[in-house]
Amino acid sequence: MKSYTQISGEIGEFSDLPFWKKADRIDLAYVSYGLLVVTLVVLSYLLGAFNLLPFDPQDLDLELMMAGPFTGKHLLGTDFMGRDMLSRLIVGIQAYFLPGLLAIFIALLFGTILGVLAGYRGGRFETGITYFTNLVDSFPRLVLILLVIAAFKPDIWYIMLVVGITNIPAVASLVKGKILFLKQKNFIEADIALGVPTRIIILKHILWHNCRSILIIQATLGMAEAILMETSLSYLGFGVQEPTPSWGNMVQAGSNYFMKGQFWPSTAPALAILFTILGFHLLGDGLNNILEGKRNK
Amino acid sequence: MAKTILEVQDLKKHFTHRKGLFSAVKAEQQSIPAVDGVSFYLKENETVGLVGESGCGKTTIGRTILRLEKPTSGKIIFDGKDITTLSTDELRGLRGKMQMIFQDLDAALNPKMRIREILTEAIEVHHRIAEGSTEKRIAELLEMVNLKKSKLSNFPHELSGGEKRRVGIARVLSVGAQFIVADEPTSALDVSIQAQVVNLLRDLQQQLKLSFLFISHDLRVVELMSHKVAVMYLGKVVEMGMAERIARAAHHPYTHILWSSLTEKQSKEVSRKAVSVQAGRWGVFDFERPVSGCRFAPRCPVYEARGRPEVCTDPANEPELREVGDGHRVACHFPL
Amino acid sequence: MTAPLLKIEDLRTYFYSKSKQAFIRSVDGVSLEVGKGETLGIVGESGSGKSITAMSVMGLVSSGPGVITGKIGFKSETVQKNLLQDLEDYVTLTRTDGRIMAVQKDQDGWREVSERRMAKIRGKEISMIFQNPKQSMNPFETVGSQIAEAVRLHTDHKEEKAAKEKAIEWLDRVKIDSPRLRYDNYPYGLSGGMCQRAMIAMALSCEPQLLIADEPTTGLDATIQSKIADLLAELKSELGITTVLISHDISIISRLSDTVAVMYGGTVVETGPVKDILSRTAERKHPYTSALLTSIPSAENVKEKGHLQAIEGDVLDTINIPAGCRFYGRCSQVTDKVRERCEQQEPELREISSGHKARCWLYFD
Repeated sequence: MKSYTQISGEIGEFSDLPFWKKADRIDLAYVSYGLLVVTLVVLSYLLGAFNLLPFDPQDLDLELMMAGPFTGKHLLGTDFMGRDMLSRLIVGIQAYFLPGLLAIFIALLFGTILGVLAGYRGGRFETGITYFTNLVDSFPRLVLILLVIAAFKPDIWYIMLVVGITNIPAVASLVKGKILFLKQKNFIEADIALGVPTRIIILKHILWHNCRSILIIQATLGMAEAILMETSLSYLGFGVQEPTPSWGNMVQAGSNYFMKGQFWPSTAPALAILFTILGFHLLGDGLNNILEGKRNK
Repeated sequence: MAKTILEVQDLKKHFTHRKGLFSAVKAEQQSIPAVDGVSFYLKENETVGLVGESGCGKTTIGRTILRLEKPTSGKIIFDGKDITTLSTDELRGLRGKMQMIFQDLDAALNPKMRIREILTEAIEVHHRIAEGSTEKRIAELLEMVNLKKSKLSNFPHELSGGEKRRVGIARVLSVGAQFIVADEPTSALDVSIQAQVVNLLRDLQQQLKLSFLFISHDLRVVELMSHKVAVMYLGKVVEMGMAERIARAAHHPYTHILWSSLTEKQSKEVSRKAVSVQAGRWGVFDFERPVSGCRFAPRCPVYEARGRPEVCTDPANEPELREVGDGHRVACHFPL
Repeated sequence: MTAPLLKIEDLRTYFYSKSKQAFIRSVDGVSLEVGKGETLGIVGESGSGKSITAMSVMGLVSSGPGVITGKIGFKSETVQKNLLQDLEDYVTLTRTDGRIMAVQKDQDGWREVSERRMAKIRGKEISMIFQNPKQSMNPFETVGSQIAEAVRLHTDHKEEKAAKEKAIEWLDRVKIDSPRLRYDNYPYGLSGGMCQRAMIAMALSCEPQLLIADEPTTGLDATIQSKIADLLAELKSELGITTVLISHDISIISRLSDTVAVMYGGTVVETGPVKDILSRTAERKHPYTSALLTSIPSAENVKEKGHLQAIEGDVLDTINIPAGCRFYGRCSQVTDKVRERCEQQEPELREISSGHKARCWLYFD
């Protein structure tokens, strides 16, 4: 039995509910979890940046190696060299936070510019941009990153630069699609007829009013991707190098002991990766459903 | 004598359509003449109606005059100034004087902006005015289009069709336009709302001395709104004259069919007046474009009735608009 | 009036607005009758519920609570039943002061029973013409083969060849030029008017008892509209088929119908013979109908006052339905005597002269 209930008994007065009341509960749950993760990540980044840590992440405690969680003062235990896991996890965020933002920034900035050119100007621009995006899309990203590492050096900034550039097509095609959709609705043409300057049409009417939600969503998904890329490369040894902690190389370091039954040192960073990426994805998904109304349609 | 605000001379707009698989590389183009040599003029505080079936190019004319499309050839003279080749920047200044009401109700309305923002922006596009006076101007506009003040804080999707249309009109007025192209302003509205909008436009014309180019397929509305009417068929004007004469004493067979279809639809007993204005055998036609000669010939009952005279399909002899008295002009070899 | 072929009683079809958490009462207590061989015209503006009524009869409403209560009696030679019979078991309604405030509906159960029943009725007994002929036809099949398929499915012409001949006969009957050639055309190859003719041929080729035509002329050009109206008038006199004609265009309704129902805000406000309702001279009419007639832009309507007589206000939004008469807010004929009743109590549809019913307090003193 499906049930439908009219909320108010008043005859006559019904108007639109605010968006958080309209939204599905599950979407709100996604978004709140996502926002919690974002807050924790930002907070951890700041703690790491100002060195407000429970322990020095490089401090060896040879008495207490491979300790489980809640051992003494070590909330999440220690690794194979007796370093505090919690502190290392917090500092690990330094490895991807700013480079990740750089990747997002590159993807959004250039993606938006190309998207606007392709969608708003159309014609030759569109053809050219389509060729460019096809070119970038047809190149395996990992191979490209390895090439860059081989040519320069295994540095997270280079890697994120590549991640950002390879994300440009996705953003560009989203923005282009949105603009083509808006053009169907004719209001852009009405703006032109009214004499609104082109920069205002593009910046205010198109990007600010109608594209900001898809850009925010892209940003969250981009962050998830950046984390994933950083961790997998660090795991393979191409990213952040020991002793600087990063979640990827922590998993890698702990994995040597995994088979011996001491699974905690690699499980802890792995869980951190899992919950963080899940958080960013759910945030993007929930925002998409709420702001763009995907689920209801 | 009122001065001429708009003059269109032999306006042509051909759309090119790229063809084939390698269109991006090889420019093989097909040209579709949407508007094929149209001339007319519009006096101040006057309405010219433009009627015709869908696909006849009437909307394209409106858009080309406002330079939303680039004309292929011909001349558009607005307020004594040739605007055919003005650049986008030069045009922007003129947009304060000429405006368009779009058929699409949502056209003027950015879905993510509140009505107040939409109107404020429109007011400030062409005029720098002091902060307090924007509010005053908005109130004035709302009064003019008869819209409740409470609607200002709504988003467009919360408005009904009639209200959206009013906001669209207010936006057009806010820039102080004198000449307005109204492209099917009533067709998306309900019957009971159409009358409100027609009344509103008529009132505004009197109050503000506006000039309209009124485009519609609804003959009754056009007749009611317009001083002069131009009837279009496949990109050309086939008849032009005072509204009453077009409606009651048409000379072109097409105009006649167009107007009699209105009454035929209503009348129970199918009383067709003259035998000469019987549509072809089945009365079903496609828009087929004749290879040569008069473009209405394939659908024309007069052509049929006269035993298909050769002059109608003679490529060198496409009928031109000819004066038949009282400013009434018709493009037909055998006017009724 | 002959025995009714279709008799709708108190039909209610609701949708649910999630963003307002309220019901959209699209069809809210509609009662209608169509006699055998007659044409019923339903006039109304957008949102008046006229199309949803037709969709409800066809069992085509799929979203929201949909049809929740009412009776759709259908009586032809082969089928005599209430199309909504036993379906009320799948719905529980909660009412407060007579208004439905909550609906519980087993959608799947309802749909299963309804589909099983309607599968035998759609096409064979009742068929429908839609507003967008191009979108209602399969674009990947030729027009002719779609009609032939309908013929084979619903009539005795089961053989392929016979069905094709029958289809061509129908194409000819709806006056499509060179039907044999057009048989092999795809829908996109036909003009709008031609496509509508093909659609009519398809609907009639099943030899249904009842034809529902939903805005058959809307969106077509003026010259084509009058030709389609000619065709419908001719088919009506030749075949004598019972028709429900839905349109917002009063001229076509007044030309083709015998009886008329005027809908406003999800309900029928007036019904009766066409001459009593849609002629401009008839006196006793629902205020909405008379206002609608005078608001049509035509030369006669303007000459009288130099101005069109418009109906003020906006079309009723079927979420916010008032307690009293649905037209009260826009009505110009309210007198002080009835004002209070108009505002507080909804009038019933009652007879004001023989065969002519209206929903207005002005006539019940």
